[in-house]
Amino acid sequence: MAAKKLRRARLSQELCERLSRHQITTCQDFLCLSLLDLMKVTGQSYGNVQKLLCKVSLACAPKMQTAYEMKVRRAVNPSSAFLSTSLHGLDKVLHGGVPCGSLTEITSPPGCGKTQFCIMMSVLATLPISMGGLNGAVIYIDTESAFSAERLVEIAGNRFPTYFDSDEKLFSMTRSVYLYRELTCGSVLKRIKSLEEEIISKKVKLIIIDSVASVVRKEFDTKLQGNLTERSNFLARGASLLKYLAEEFSIPV
Amino acid sequence: MQRDVGSLPLAPALRVRLAAAGFQTAQEVLETGPCGLSKEIGISKEEALEALQVVRQECHSDATRTAGAPGTSRKCTALELLEQEQAQGFIITFCSALDNVLGGGVQLTKITEICGAPGVGKTQLCMQLAVDVQIPECFGGLAGEAVFIDTEGSFMVDRVVDIAAACVQHCQLIAEAHQEEDHLKALETFSLESILSHIYYFRCRDYIELLAEIYLLPDFLSEHSKVRLVVIDGIAFPFRHDFEDLSLRTRLLNGLAQQLIIIANDHKAAVVLTNQMTTRTGQSQSTLVPALGESWGHAATVRLIFHWDNNQRLATLYKSPSQKESTIPYHITPHGFRDVQPPAVTQNPEGTEMNPRKRPRREEEK
Repeated sequence: MAAKKLRRARLSQELCERLSRHQITTCQDFLCLSLLDLMKVTGQSYGNVQKLLCKVSLACAPKMQTAYEMKVRRAVNPSSAFLSTSLHGLDKVLHGGVPCGSLTEITSPPGCGKTQFCIMMSVLATLPISMGGLNGAVIYIDTESAFSAERLVEIAGNRFPTYFDSDEKLFSMTRSVYLYRELTCGSVLKRIKSLEEEIISKKVKLIIIDSVASVVRKEFDTKLQGNLTERSNFLARGASLLKYLAEEFSIPV
Repeated sequence: MQRDVGSLPLAPALRVRLAAAGFQTAQEVLETGPCGLSKEIGISKEEALEALQVVRQECHSDATRTAGAPGTSRKCTALELLEQEQAQGFIITFCSALDNVLGGGVQLTKITEICGAPGVGKTQLCMQLAVDVQIPECFGGLAGEAVFIDTEGSFMVDRVVDIAAACVQHCQLIAEAHQEEDHLKALETFSLESILSHIYYFRCRDYIELLAEIYLLPDFLSEHSKVRLVVIDGIAFPFRHDFEDLSLRTRLLNGLAQQLIIIANDHKAAVVLTNQMTTRTGQSQSTLVPALGESWGHAATVRLIFHWDNNQRLATLYKSPSQKESTIPYHITPHGFRDVQPPAVTQNPEGTEMNPRKRPRREEEK
């Protein structure tokens, strides 16, 4: 949205050309300038510049929705609001399960079962909606190489023996879990950026990243001077990308 | 009338031409008239007329300002301000200790900033305020509407439904106790659907969308004149990452603060911002301080800092022009933001005191 070209914001052609001479081509550049700079650059009067500012803002600003509309949308599709974890106590405490459309973080000391939980959630997401799943594919970004496909099959077979009664069903389930092994921060970020198209093409309904901390701690030593800001930059950028994906496609992350 | 031509809000090219043609004061420009102006500086008659209108408007407002008319000026005596402040309403937070500390609740026409570590309850308080601003006047509320600008994506509709249901129930209990007619009539319109449909939600993904939204907010507020609360949840988030140019960030933040102050004053609305905490490493220890730097600290009029003390959440009033600094405990319950119950009175089991969404805090090592 920010990188939207000014031409698409319905400014007049000559104004766009004039602005591009000063290297202002996107809405971001336009809105970052102060009013006096804008007056100098566009050659318009104060009142006109304010009107231009409103026009450009209209092009970038988000749409309004009332909380009621949001609730109605969620009520229409109740199964799509949460992914139940199949643990009744946990579901009750979480008010229904892992919420779709937002980020959920699982933390614990080592060995408590985070990766097992992630593997189980992958199985649950591939189940059809009638059984409480999301009937979709899963993207699993693994940074610790802890994912074991055999364990996935074992959990599926033991948990839902009636559903996964044939080998074929098991294979189709494993086929819909896409595993990506990333070992550096840069590749994790690149992978997250490329996810948008994959989500649409593969009909992904769940994204799991196991785990963010291990790859960040490996690369950034907080005792070194500049690393803290770089680390927070990387984390914040990754987080905002994931939030965007989660909200845009209404899937749990 | 003796205003210098260079200070008029005309297009820069026009000003340059006026100066080159020898015009020095606004008076001279007005005396010339549109046709003469167009001939002297070589612009079309329509442009000359437009310029003259701008000049005339500027001089007129200058004159009224010097004459002391209260129309466009923002000055008034302290007595008028006192009367205004006493008649002004507050937005209650449903936690009476916090309301007392704030002097009645969140004040209108002021910017209140809430800082705190993640998970301490900032978004909960914002959602509570968005519901509380809509309480009808006969129950002590403002009967207003709320604008919620979300930059972090932490607005959960289901949670607002819970908070709103608890608020409606609370008002129903009051109405039953008092049995007055206007209470019952107000309750008819104060329902879950009406509360939710009067919260206007904007989701801004980065700082450009936030800036654009703030530019458009005055028009929106003029259309929806009943809005009494503007919440920006997470003002720090879009400005903290991806910013190489810190001076640009400071400039944008200051501009934002100015516009919010103007919005708060013109539309008699309360502006509530939530901020994150950052660590400042001193010589021997590190302390948590609000993010976005020292200069941002001047933007907010009232500052609340939320923090933990073992398992108890505390709120400290850190900066306020009229109230003294104090700390009070509070709780987040399934019904929303509440006081801490004194241990003798409560009969609820411990489990229902804590919000099911929040895990109890344990000592974590960072």
